Amino acid sequence: MRLLLVEDDHRTADYIVKGLTEAGHVCDLLRNGHDALFAATSGGYDVIVADRMIPGLDGLSMVKAARAAGVRTPAIFLTSIGGIDDRVEGLEAGGDDYLVKPFAFSELLARIHALGRRPAAQEQKTVLRVGDLEMDLIMRRVTRQGQPIDLQPREFSLLEVLMRGEGRVITRTMLLERVWDFHFDPKTSVVETHISRLRAKIDKPFETQLLHTVRNTGYSLHAPLAP
Amino acid sequence: MTGTWSRLLRSTPFRLALTFGFLFMLAFVLSGAIVYQMMSADLAEQLDDTIKETYAVIAATYADSDPKELVETVDSHSMRSPKKEQLFSLTDAAGNRLAGNFTAAGLPDGFSNFGAEMPGLPKGTEYRAYSGAVGGDTLTIAISLSETEELETIMLMSFGWATLIITGLAVTGGALLASRVQRRLDGIAATMVDVSHGRLDARIPLTGKGDDIDIVSSQVNAALDRLSGLVDGMKQVSANIAHDLKTPLNRLQMILEGAADKAAQDRDVAGDLADARAEGHQINETFDALLRIAQIEAGARKARFTDVDLGEILQTIAEIYADVAEDDGKSLSSVELHQTAARIHGDPELLTQMFANLVENALRHCPPGTTIKLSVARQGDRMLAGVADNGPGIPADKRENVFQRLYRLDHSRSTPGSGLGLSLVRAIADLHGASITLEDCQPGLAVVVSFPLAVD
Repeated sequence: MRLLLVEDDHRTADYIVKGLTEAGHVCDLLRNGHDALFAATSGGYDVIVADRMIPGLDGLSMVKAARAAGVRTPAIFLTSIGGIDDRVEGLEAGGDDYLVKPFAFSELLARIHALGRRPAAQEQKTVLRVGDLEMDLIMRRVTRQGQPIDLQPREFSLLEVLMRGEGRVITRTMLLERVWDFHFDPKTSVVETHISRLRAKIDKPFETQLLHTVRNTGYSLHAPLAP
Repeated sequence: MTGTWSRLLRSTPFRLALTFGFLFMLAFVLSGAIVYQMMSADLAEQLDDTIKETYAVIAATYADSDPKELVETVDSHSMRSPKKEQLFSLTDAAGNRLAGNFTAAGLPDGFSNFGAEMPGLPKGTEYRAYSGAVGGDTLTIAISLSETEELETIMLMSFGWATLIITGLAVTGGALLASRVQRRLDGIAATMVDVSHGRLDARIPLTGKGDDIDIVSSQVNAALDRLSGLVDGMKQVSANIAHDLKTPLNRLQMILEGAADKAAQDRDVAGDLADARAEGHQINETFDALLRIAQIEAGARKARFTDVDLGEILQTIAEIYADVAEDDGKSLSSVELHQTAARIHGDPELLTQMFANLVENALRHCPPGTTIKLSVARQGDRMLAGVADNGPGIPADKRENVFQRLYRLDHSRSTPGSGLGLSLVRAIADLHGASITLEDCQPGLAVVVSFPLAVD
């Protein structure tokens, strides 16, 4: 993917650019908002990653201006810790996601992947399929190998998020936000508990494992890789 | 002295007293003038009546057949007024005196006034006269005005004295009252000066009368109480933060030094790095929580308040945490909803976090086998949301402390957590105008959050 990174802190920028390059992406780094706005409107980027506090035009205004200019490129804001209103403001300004600093690089990467490959068509699907697991979004029914699986409503949405991100890493924080609408870090194992319940229902009774734990990061749902 | 006076003139109570004194004096003088006018008019009328009556009595004695009778009557009347306070005159058509104690010359018919410049009359005395024809002669009756004037002078004098006394009373009374109020205002000013110099324990003295100054003063005192509480809290927090962050920072440094040593010997440092990351994460979380609390306390979130159903939020929390509790060997009972709608005005995201914190707190500090109950009930104009457990509870004397930032009961120092969870709960409750009480469930602890109802 071709990414635009707007970040004025050298260390953070180097850290991100290095990580993204290693992950196989092309990353353009700009250090102020005006240049970034120009670059964003020139197009050609798959995802914009913008720090909120940058010289010149701040990140929020930059994305707002880009949106006003018709730029639809998904944008992730990087915000400093503690900004409880930052997320709402960021989303209102036209951002698609936000990430609180300091963050694990895997978290940023997971979110970039989630945004960059969000195909519009898949949103319209009424049936999601991962391997032999099938989810009917209209009937709200889940089957694996044709056997119906009974899920609690919360487990259903958990599985839906994982299936929509098939093959990608979905982090614990992403799950908290999307499934539970929790915008804080719970001190108990909310995610782990529900993942283990879900796993007991969709994986345990079957031979092949679909739901994988990605150490220190999150989870990924995918069919076994072809040998 | 001039300083005191100019200070007195600038004092609001004294100015008020002065203004009221002046207004009162004005009213008094005005009403006095009206009374004086009316009384002197009445006196003049009475005098005229007396003159007319005397004239009528004397004139009645005249008869065409006996003109002497009139002369005698006039003379006999004249004899009764040796000091000439009453004058009688009977003149013929040529102006010659026929009888009486003076000669009325040139006076018009009817009433008239004349001064005593005539010979034989007391000097400087004004007279009121009435003249009229009797037969072919002219009869004039005059009475000295000195008595009336004396009465009028007495009236004026008494008004003058009364005005003087009232003025004196108004000014001294006003000054007295003003200085009393001024003293209390000075007390308030002195207290505020103390406070601005950093003596936050200074309080405005109250008289206990419960008057308006007392009310304002006690409100200021209450604000000062809160302020000094906050400042104390902040000092406490700064100390606690320094202490609580110092520990993980020290650990982090030790880990990194160890790792550096190992790296120098080409040994594997992966484990140390993981430890360092965990410490860093913990430090960041503490800061994150502190900043969130500060932001919530700043109140900016209030702009995003909407109508929220507390029951719904608790229902969601119960549903999310039921499995977590079960895996932990505890049980979380679903919400006891005592009414269908428990609407309050608030921020659903923060409220969710608040109850999540309370439930997590109960989960962390209670032993396996504990039951945690969530409930919502309306009580009067409040909506009570409760998180109750039957765990070990908190000793009564420590209950208030748990809301302090970074406060942790000694036995919980070993469990993970920043000691900020309940501070966050308190900050969110404050933002919603809610109060939190900790109750003893015997055994166990109940945290009850009392919200004001949403206003429709």
